[in-house]
Formats: sequence, structure tokens, C-alpha cells
Amino acid sequence: MLSHFLLMVVYALIVSLFFTLLWRRERKEQVKLFLQIFLGMVGGGLLVAWLMYPFPSGPPAPIP
Amino acid sequence: MAESGSSPAAQPVPQAVRPQGNPVVAVLSAWLVPGLGHVYLKRHLRGLVFFVLVIASLLIGCKLEGKLYTRVPGEPLTILATLGSMGMGVPYFLLRYGLHYQGNVMGAGFEYGTAFLLTAGLMNLLLVLDAWDIVRGKKE
Repeated sequence: MLSHFLLMVVYALIVSLFFTLLWRRERKEQVKLFLQIFLGMVGGGLLVAWLMYPFPSGPPAPIP
Repeated sequence: MAESGSSPAAQPVPQAVRPQGNPVVAVLSAWLVPGLGHVYLKRHLRGLVFFVLVIASLLIGCKLEGKLYTRVPGEPLTILATLGSMGMGVPYFLLRYGLHYQGNVMGAGFEYGTAFLLTAGLMNLLLVLDAWDIVRGKKE
């Protein structure tokens, strides 16, 4: 359950389903918007992760 | 010779979306229980799906031991976060005062869980606005 990627996909799934049902009524438009949001979130997350890959993560921040 | 089928009277006239239901009941029920406002406005299936989505986000957030925001003196942004979390309605108060849920900052999924919990509240706030738009006739 604590896979970063899995959590990101689940989050994207919930959010994209929510906005699809909130904003669109017709099935074809719903599918289109769902794919746009879902793939945008997952793809965007992977892109940001890829761009940040060269940067060192450093030591973990101390817990206050 | 009479024209057939092309007169304006023969074509279906799109009806304006009329206001329906009591705005106070719709908004209040939408806030208290996710999706209930839509059920009240006879959007049963949509209300059920919204309920499932918001509660799923809430349960995942709790499973990951995310933070349920409360106001912290000296940190004004926590007021906004608390209001956002309170957007989930009854589940927020049930978690906070009934189950004394607080989350676990040492938990491995703390940050993710916090995002899921906050998202549940914010999604329900959008549902309240959606119910308001429907009841005022601005949306189908």
C-alpha cells in the first residue's frame, strides 16, 4: 500500500473520476476528460520525478 | 399546402433548467453527508458515486495515518486547512470527536494520507457548490 507510484495512481484515479462526473454529463466527453486529467496527473508526476532525479535527496529532515 | 416537420412548433423546445428543491436543505445535506445533496436533488447515481469517491479518499487517508487538520495557534494557514477538512461534513466530526483520530506523524504514509484527507474535504465542498448550482437552476 505504501508504494509511491500506486498511491499516486489511486489519488489520480479518485480525483479524475470526481472531476469527470462533476463537470461532464455525456459519456464521450466524460471519457475524454477522465483520460486528460488522469494521464495528466500520472504523466506529470512521472515527468517531475524524472526531472528531479539528478538532484540529491539529502539526509531526511528532522521531525519537530 | 401545409408545411410539415419544419415549423418551430414541431421541434422540441429546450426547456430552461428550473430551480428545484429547497436550497438550504440541498446545501446542508450536501455538506453533512457526501453525495446526499445530489440524492436529494434526484441525482441518485451521481450522488452515490460521489459518496463512494469522497469516503474512499477519507478511508485511504485514515489508513495511511494522515493528519486531520485542526487549528494551531500562531499558524493561520491551519485555519484554511481545517476549514477545508471540515468540508467533508459529518465524517470530519466523527473522526475528530467520536474516534479521536489524530493521525501519526511518524507513519510512513503520513504525507500521502494528509493529502487524501484534505482532498476528501475539498471535494465535498465542491459538491456543495454543485448542489447549489443545481438547486438554483444554473446547472443540470
